[in-house]
Amino acid sequence: MIKKTFKIPDMTCSNCAMKLEALEDTLDGVKEINASYHKLEMVIEYDESKLTDEQIIAAVKKKGYQAVAK
Amino acid sequence: MSKQQNKPINSVVIVALGVVFVAIVLMLFVFQPNAQSLNLGADSSTWGQLVVAFVTGITTGGLSCLAVQGGLLASSLAHQIEQDYVEQAGNKKKKQKATVHTNSAFPIFLFLVAKLVAYTLLGALLGWLGSYLTLSPMTRAMLMIAIGIFMIGNALRMFNVHPIFRYFSVEPPKYITRYIRRTAKGTDTATPLFLGALTVFIPCGVTQAMMATALGTGSIVMGAALMFAFILGTSPVFFVVAYLTTELGSKLEKFFMRFVAVVLLILGFVTLNGGLNVLGSPLSFENLTRSLVRSNSTSAPVADFSQSSADIVLNVQNNGYSPAILKAPAGKDLTLNLITNKTYSCARDFVIPALNVYQLLPDTGKIQVNIPAQQKGSTLSFTCSMGMYTGQIVFE
Repeated sequence: MIKKTFKIPDMTCSNCAMKLEALEDTLDGVKEINASYHKLEMVIEYDESKLTDEQIIAAVKKKGYQAVAK
Repeated sequence: MSKQQNKPINSVVIVALGVVFVAIVLMLFVFQPNAQSLNLGADSSTWGQLVVAFVTGITTGGLSCLAVQGGLLASSLAHQIEQDYVEQAGNKKKKQKATVHTNSAFPIFLFLVAKLVAYTLLGALLGWLGSYLTLSPMTRAMLMIAIGIFMIGNALRMFNVHPIFRYFSVEPPKYITRYIRRTAKGTDTATPLFLGALTVFIPCGVTQAMMATALGTGSIVMGAALMFAFILGTSPVFFVVAYLTTELGSKLEKFFMRFVAVVLLILGFVTLNGGLNVLGSPLSFENLTRSLVRSNSTSAPVADFSQSSADIVLNVQNNGYSPAILKAPAGKDLTLNLITNKTYSCARDFVIPALNVYQLLPDTGKIQVNIPAQQKGSTLSFTCSMGMYTGQIVFE
């Protein structure tokens, strides 16, 4: 398991954070996601053998946001 | 919410609800007796304050709430619609269509009713808490200023002026959002009811501002009524726009959010200004402009300057104080006669902040307030307890 932070510059409210945290339920290999509108970032703890950065970025994009690995 | 999920919603039901709510709004405006201002904090009349809350809900609250809570409704609704289609799969096309429409509207209705009840109870709780905070006009002034700053901060956050303003948005704790999200996956009839009630934990910026206003009422009944009126106002917008946003696209949604921000900014400044008035601050809009134009707008002196003490008269009317600027002799004790005549507005809650005078006047009658001798050239600001109606006594 590794923990990684992604910048999400286009969040507009706390609901955006909720939407991103919902990826917990759909992305395989994710243990926990903590998204913050205040910081415009998402901290994701995941199994790197099951999930890649690119897959995370793609999943975030599907939700309507851009993710940039920090 | 996808287009596929939205299509089954009966447009007739939406239009009917819209017409009903617009009719309610018109009735409120036509038949209410004393709503003379859009000052959020003003209790010019209880009815007027509720109208303001309702109009705030229908104009800005619904859109703002939708941005935060719309996902919950969409989620539970999607399951309901999906279930309806599966159950009706064997039916004839025409019959199936009618059945699905009815079932789709019902969860939305349940969601909004639960939300209305939950926020009304929350309003009662906030009003009750506020009754302990509302100890004096000064406390109320501080609360109004805080509410005003909160509103302005939220508006500036929406305009993305500076990252610091993001902290005006309250982020619910992680365990609550996770619980709500997972509950939203339920498919039973109770789910929309439950989710509607849970929205109290994820209020939008405008709702948070209204909650602060409910706190400022200092009354269980008024707090509950205020939140009821506000959420009732948000409901038709919530209902209709949830359906329309998928059709109109995100560009128009962004335009709506700008509109919400502008209204919130205006209401924020109005509330902040009211708080400054109750504090007797020279920085309030009224006191600043009065200082600038005093020479043109002063009333004729009404005091008897030859006596050791003097009487001045102030008419307390539904739309404020007349005259707004009183001249009085300096260096003499003064009796201020406050005359009311069928006055029902908040002008009855008379305050002179500098002297810590607070007097609730009868709707019709005369009350005397003693004012100690003041220095020549000084002024005393007076206001209603919500900072909506103001005036000054100028000592010469």
